[in-house]
Amino acid sequence: MLKSVTRRLREPGIRGHEAGAGWLFLLPVIVILGLFLVLPIAMAVWVSFSDWNGNGSPLGTHAHWVGLQNYRHLLTTPGLDQNNFGESLRNNFYYVILVVPVQTAVALLLAVFVNRRVKFVGFFRTAFYFPSVTSSVAITILFLFLFSPSGVINKLLSYLGATGPSWMYDPRGLFHVILGQFGVTNPPSSLANGLFLGVSYWDWVSGPSIAMCVFILMAVFTTSGTFMLLFLAALQNIDESVNEAAALDGATEWRKFRHVTVPMIRPTIFTVVTLGLIGTWQIFDQIYTGTQGSPSNTTLTPAFLSFNTSFNGNEWGVGAALAFILFAIIVFFTVVTRLATRNPDRLSRRRRFLPTTTVQSGQSRVATGGSR
Amino acid sequence: MYPHRISRTARWRLALAAVTVGTLAVTAGVALGSPAATKATTITALIGSSGPAETYAVKNAASAWSKQTGIAVNVVVASDLGQQLAQGFASGNPPDIFYLGNDQVATYAKTGVLAPLDNLKNVKSFYPSLREAYTYKGHLYAAPKDFSTLALVINTASWKGAHLTAKSYPKTWQQLASVAKKLTRNGQVGLCTNPEFHRLGVFMLQSGGWLVSKNGKTATVNSKANIAAFNFVKSMIKNGSMKLTNQLGVGWGGEGFGKKMCAMTIEGNWIAGAMKADYPTVGWKAVELPSGPAGKGTLQYDGGWGLAQASKNKADAMALITYLTQTKVEMGNAKAFGVMPSVKADRKIWSKTYPQYAAFLAAADYSKSIPPVPNIATVLGDFNQQLQGLPNTDPKTILNRINSELQSILNQ
Amino acid sequence: MSGSAATAVPQREARLRSESSAVRRRRIGTALTYSVLLAIAVVYIFPFVIAVVTAFKTEPDATANPLSLVPSPATTTAFHQLYKDQDFLVWVKNSAIVTLSVTFLRVFLDSLAGYALARLRFRGRGAAFATIVAVMAVPGVVLLIPKFLMIRQLGMYDTYYGMIVPLLVDAAGVFIMKNFFESIPVSVEESARIDGASIFRIYWSIVLPMARPALVTIFILSFQGSWNELAQFIISAQSTSLNTLTKGVAQLASGQLGVGNRYPLKLAASVLMTIPVAILFFVFQRRIMNASAGAVKE
Repeated sequence: MLKSVTRRLREPGIRGHEAGAGWLFLLPVIVILGLFLVLPIAMAVWVSFSDWNGNGSPLGTHAHWVGLQNYRHLLTTPGLDQNNFGESLRNNFYYVILVVPVQTAVALLLAVFVNRRVKFVGFFRTAFYFPSVTSSVAITILFLFLFSPSGVINKLLSYLGATGPSWMYDPRGLFHVILGQFGVTNPPSSLANGLFLGVSYWDWVSGPSIAMCVFILMAVFTTSGTFMLLFLAALQNIDESVNEAAALDGATEWRKFRHVTVPMIRPTIFTVVTLGLIGTWQIFDQIYTGTQGSPSNTTLTPAFLSFNTSFNGNEWGVGAALAFILFAIIVFFTVVTRLATRNPDRLSRRRRFLPTTTVQSGQSRVATGGSR
Repeated sequence: MYPHRISRTARWRLALAAVTVGTLAVTAGVALGSPAATKATTITALIGSSGPAETYAVKNAASAWSKQTGIAVNVVVASDLGQQLAQGFASGNPPDIFYLGNDQVATYAKTGVLAPLDNLKNVKSFYPSLREAYTYKGHLYAAPKDFSTLALVINTASWKGAHLTAKSYPKTWQQLASVAKKLTRNGQVGLCTNPEFHRLGVFMLQSGGWLVSKNGKTATVNSKANIAAFNFVKSMIKNGSMKLTNQLGVGWGGEGFGKKMCAMTIEGNWIAGAMKADYPTVGWKAVELPSGPAGKGTLQYDGGWGLAQASKNKADAMALITYLTQTKVEMGNAKAFGVMPSVKADRKIWSKTYPQYAAFLAAADYSKSIPPVPNIATVLGDFNQQLQGLPNTDPKTILNRINSELQSILNQ
Repeated sequence: MSGSAATAVPQREARLRSESSAVRRRRIGTALTYSVLLAIAVVYIFPFVIAVVTAFKTEPDATANPLSLVPSPATTTAFHQLYKDQDFLVWVKNSAIVTLSVTFLRVFLDSLAGYALARLRFRGRGAAFATIVAVMAVPGVVLLIPKFLMIRQLGMYDTYYGMIVPLLVDAAGVFIMKNFFESIPVSVEESARIDGASIFRIYWSIVLPMARPALVTIFILSFQGSWNELAQFIISAQSTSLNTLTKGVAQLASGQLGVGNRYPLKLAASVLMTIPVAILFFVFQRRIMNASAGAVKE
């Protein structure tokens, strides 16, 4: 009551205009978000329950309701769709569980180093961040060249007396290769016969293929710079006195890092891991440019498969269903990360909507950026 | 706002940024200001070109027809034919006519986006086998424009180097294995080819196997004959006399062959153009593929012109298709990029003009096309993917997988 | 260690010794820091150097001597080919059209919406804000098929409109602007309001000029984002005449077998397409470093 009175006093006679202007200002954004996000999603939900095959309009007579059939094709009915989906899930899973921890660790390491008081620190920050601003298409082509059978990496390996694999052409799973070193080349029958999502247990434990490893290295190369900046901001927010106190206690560098620094930047670690998870489950550009799923489907990812099933295979219903399953996977992993990193003492503070975390850190950065 | 506070480098940098953005703006402005394409009746033809020669030949033929009829033709070269075609259909605005492989014809005919071509004027002039490859449920959905077959391509210098003569051209699998072994020397592997059904499938046919049963209702990918075929291939890979192109790190057999990484490859007519353009110093000869336990066998690739149901000038488009599949035009194409004409009557002229390609044409008598099953292209795509792992996988595993995938689309 | 000695002199000596060892340790630490930094920097920079050098090599040279930093012979064939055999200029033109339209319109629309959300009081503001938050959470790749369906339904497929309009708004940009406007004291606008200036006028001539840092941030993020965008262009157009750099170069990389590996050509294209973003990056280095910590690359 009182509040509204004071407000009215402060802003005499302007509220009527404000409502109109407010909506007017928001209109373009709302129309575009509605037209290209909300409505399309509704349409795609319909397509995922229909047999539309790309002919005519999905809203016309060409599409018929088929219930859960498209979802069943991916999840329960044996066949090409299920095989592909199972493989894409496996590939992307290994990609995620290798990229996310490595890029987080590398980013943190880089941040710690460029946070030191050394000369040319600007140069180093620039060097580490530059891969993050270049397009994924250009970087993919560069990596295709570096890792081509007669390319830079294999040349370097040959100087060390090693023979490199043919990288992008090599479908062998990393774990299978390692097992092969110990003489395990054929799967035990318990692993060979069981099937999950059309992929045998043995193939589930293949690890990422050699080709996929190139994409994993590439992801670390391109994203660690971005996350380095996030960590750097967090490190610079740590009160210097905390470090000094720890130093007085005679803590070693490593203990200081482990017991003082890491707990203090926990929220940032959470943000980086979450953003990493969201990003890595969406890998598309690199696959489209680099391998289109080859060799032996070992670089196939759900995002690319969804695109390919619709745009090249004309199975739009299956493609749309796959997109929604992928969405569910991303939401699931995000929630799991939240639960796993939840600190009971700070539960109430953590109960924030996910993107807000990003944006709030963004806010502080932009605000300081602006004041400089 | 405070110019005195901006350092010289900062000013220089700002100027640089302004120039970058300004340049891009001018480019964009000029482009937007240029007149849009004319919207008079034009027929759009979407092609997937094997190279400049093919593009040029098709454009030439189309413009000759334009001159005759006064109807403009816009020839568009696709960077990814399959995807562009699919997007064209899905967007409701497909090209009028387009290249259509026979592995795609059933898929699109089933969805109803193709117009039947039963009434094409020159429909009777094509090889019956080619017409059949483009027939789905009794209607013809593409006009065959050309076809190619696979043969064994041999590096003549390596052949001589291994003390082999014209008599030793392999007639059987055993002979193929033995010459491949002899040719594996000096860092060169005997035989290399793509890890694809579209190449290795020839062994299935020679072994008496095929993708589907005679009535086309049952998948037979994991038949004994096919397993024998891939076991044979694998035995050659194992003893080192054969390598798949992904093991060599090249894109296709022709590249490995041209770069002298292998002495023999299994390729189609199109290799002629690639050899001439990229590896003119490598001497080569094409011979028929050897017979397997069940005799001769090879795969055939058909190219055809399809017509969109959504096209607004179907009559004109059909006239154009007729023109483009005439003897004169087809022979021109044959000359330009090495394919074989789809018109029966052209056979004599062609074999007279190109005696060196005799092996490809001879194979036409027994070659087989991919069966017109809707969505078979996606299953074959997976087959190709799985074959990339052939050196480390039991062929049976691959064949079982593809068999069940094929059966499930046959059931649909 | 030094405490065992009884006299004062050895004690002082010991202290000096331990000090010098601390100095030495710090020096070693610094040296270590530098060598680690340098080693990582080489790993990060070397690939780009290789890319530039290889663009000037011949194909056999690139295949035979991938590591050599001196092209022999040096040639600009790759660039000529891009110009002659590929539609490189068309790609550049399309990328420029799309990027500039998206960037300028985005800056304008995001700031409009941000201002409304930060300053104007009206019913439904909270709901609008919540919707934008929710929209941000939807991963972009999931939207490929839905967006295509909508673009096609609206008849915008295979046009510049279809390529540009869906990119015009990004929720993150609205957020950045909203947060920035909230950090500006309200008093600035008060006097203008009392003078009876219209809301748009206040926004346009008073608030916007103050928001330059945030506007530049959005400008950079939008420019980089739309210049590097690939998926949106794949699903919104099919004509080769509408290929952008990303799409054209990506198809150059994946398509057309039988013409060799053409790495000099592909790398030349990659290098050229990186130049505008690189220039922007070096010019606005500090600002980008600050901004990106907030709105991370998608």
